[in-house]
Amino acid sequence: MNRNYIFLTILMIILAAGTVFLTMDSEPKQIEPEELLQEIIQPTRYVSTDQVAKMIIQGDPSLMLVDVRSEEEFAKYSLPRSINIPIKNLLSDGNLGYFGVPGTKVVFISDDDIKADQMWVFVKRLGFGSTYVMKGGLNCWMQTIIDPERPSDDAPYKDFETYTFRKGAQMYFTGAGADVPDASKIDVLVRRREKTNIASGGC
Amino acid sequence: MSKDKVISDQPKYINPYLGGVLLGLLIIVTVFITGRGLGASGSIKSAVVTTSSTVAPSATKANSYMGQFISDDHSPMFNWLVFESFGVLLGGLLSGLIFGRVKKFRTDHGPKITSKKRWVIALIGGALFGIGSQFGRGCTSGAALSGSATFALGGVIVMFGIFGTGYVIAYFFRKLWI
Amino acid sequence: MGPLIPNGIIGEGWDFVIAILIGIAFGFILEAAGFSSSRNLAGVFYGYNFVVLRVFFTALIVAMVGLMYFDYFGWLDLSKIFILPTYVTPMIVGGVIMGLGFILGGYCPGTSFTGIAIGKLDALFFTIGLYVGIFGFSLAFPLFEGFYDSGALGNVTLTDVTGIPASYFALAFTIVALAAFWGTMVIEKRVRKNMKQYKF
Repeated sequence: MNRNYIFLTILMIILAAGTVFLTMDSEPKQIEPEELLQEIIQPTRYVSTDQVAKMIIQGDPSLMLVDVRSEEEFAKYSLPRSINIPIKNLLSDGNLGYFGVPGTKVVFISDDDIKADQMWVFVKRLGFGSTYVMKGGLNCWMQTIIDPERPSDDAPYKDFETYTFRKGAQMYFTGAGADVPDASKIDVLVRRREKTNIASGGC
Repeated sequence: MSKDKVISDQPKYINPYLGGVLLGLLIIVTVFITGRGLGASGSIKSAVVTTSSTVAPSATKANSYMGQFISDDHSPMFNWLVFESFGVLLGGLLSGLIFGRVKKFRTDHGPKITSKKRWVIALIGGALFGIGSQFGRGCTSGAALSGSATFALGGVIVMFGIFGTGYVIAYFFRKLWI
Repeated sequence: MGPLIPNGIIGEGWDFVIAILIGIAFGFILEAAGFSSSRNLAGVFYGYNFVVLRVFFTALIVAMVGLMYFDYFGWLDLSKIFILPTYVTPMIVGGVIMGLGFILGGYCPGTSFTGIAIGKLDALFFTIGLYVGIFGFSLAFPLFEGFYDSGALGNVTLTDVTGIPASYFALAFTIVALAAFWGTMVIEKRVRKNMKQYKF
């Protein structure tokens, strides 16, 4: 019986050590096109600006914000704790190392969400999970967090709760009570959108 | 081969390492199918909420802890853990039948205390465990084992808390067991 | 592929059927290993029966290593599974209280169910105690609600907090567990020399 136990002990050590060597593998593998298409159709990759604001405020250590705009745009304005990986730099500078870390949630940000979506598809194609896109991008961030819209008086109570949270987030991110940051410094691309109710969450 | 003194009526148990491997595989299968680990204390919590809500519905809903688990569409017992725990009961019964351990009612107790004393202490132990499991967001199966297996920090904290404390205080309660 | 139900590969209607089946397997393994008797469970703290350590630790390292392989082969998306949320101080306190409850009660909730199944009355009293304790907790909750929610770190993993990849933890736990298995064999032999019966 002791010999069996020695064998099992060695086997277990080999298996466990094996996991360490396997995860050192840095070869980017690609996923099947059908799987990629499946993932693209699902809207589960979107997180709202409210969710991102909450994670930043709570100091959620699993959050990793990746800004996919150019270096100049990033230098002009960026979210706290975000890193800048322009889409063209995805495969260079060892940037791939930021993805696939177990337990982290990568959230892509761009002006609206088009570039962020593109980046998401690229990264998804390389097989990385736990990646998300902030819906509406920085434009939506401005409209919901930096300058939230007060709900009309007959709006449901939930909208007021959201508004209260956003006012608090506004204070956190702009460091001012009722002040609004100098709008001329922030280059926001405004697009005409269908009338959605900003106060209740969408952009 | 082994120098153990074998008493003829010692119960038959499976090899503990085999049991551990099976349990580990079960955790993997559970996570693979359901995306969550095992659990047990949650079902008692559901039972508490359900019975309390049957007896005093508005007070239960107003209670800031139990109120969270009240839903308008379904009973709190309609919950994954409750069904799993019922399965645990059945599985234990099945194993007991197979290995011949389902017998008349009996009580385990250390040689230095009586059955009745054991019942009282088990009750107190259960109450403490119940309270602790709510702070810990789980018990040994849910938080310590399944939590740690999925590398959750909370699971590891609870695991060290339970076993660490056990070892520290075991000496003071040795009369209960040895 | 996995996790199957959250990914919609298995319909949600199967949820409770699977729950019962998994529970049956769980209960069977626990009882078959001897966890239905409180004296076996308490043995780990007194050195005469290390079954708890062996089963628990083996299950832990098998699950950890197994999950790592499942992730590597792409069978399981680890980012979609439930990670226990961390509340540092309440969980430490909860662990301590549970440790005390374990030494006194000799059971934990899952094992107490298997104990009831085979007719152990102390398991029944333990379970009743669980009910009473949780009910009491709920009633007293407003007193410590703030404490209950304190120390919240979110659903963090060991990797989130330390930056060390999970596989290193799996290896570390494995080595410690294996060392403990060999070490406790020696301890058990010594403690059992003075006891007539050590499996209950």
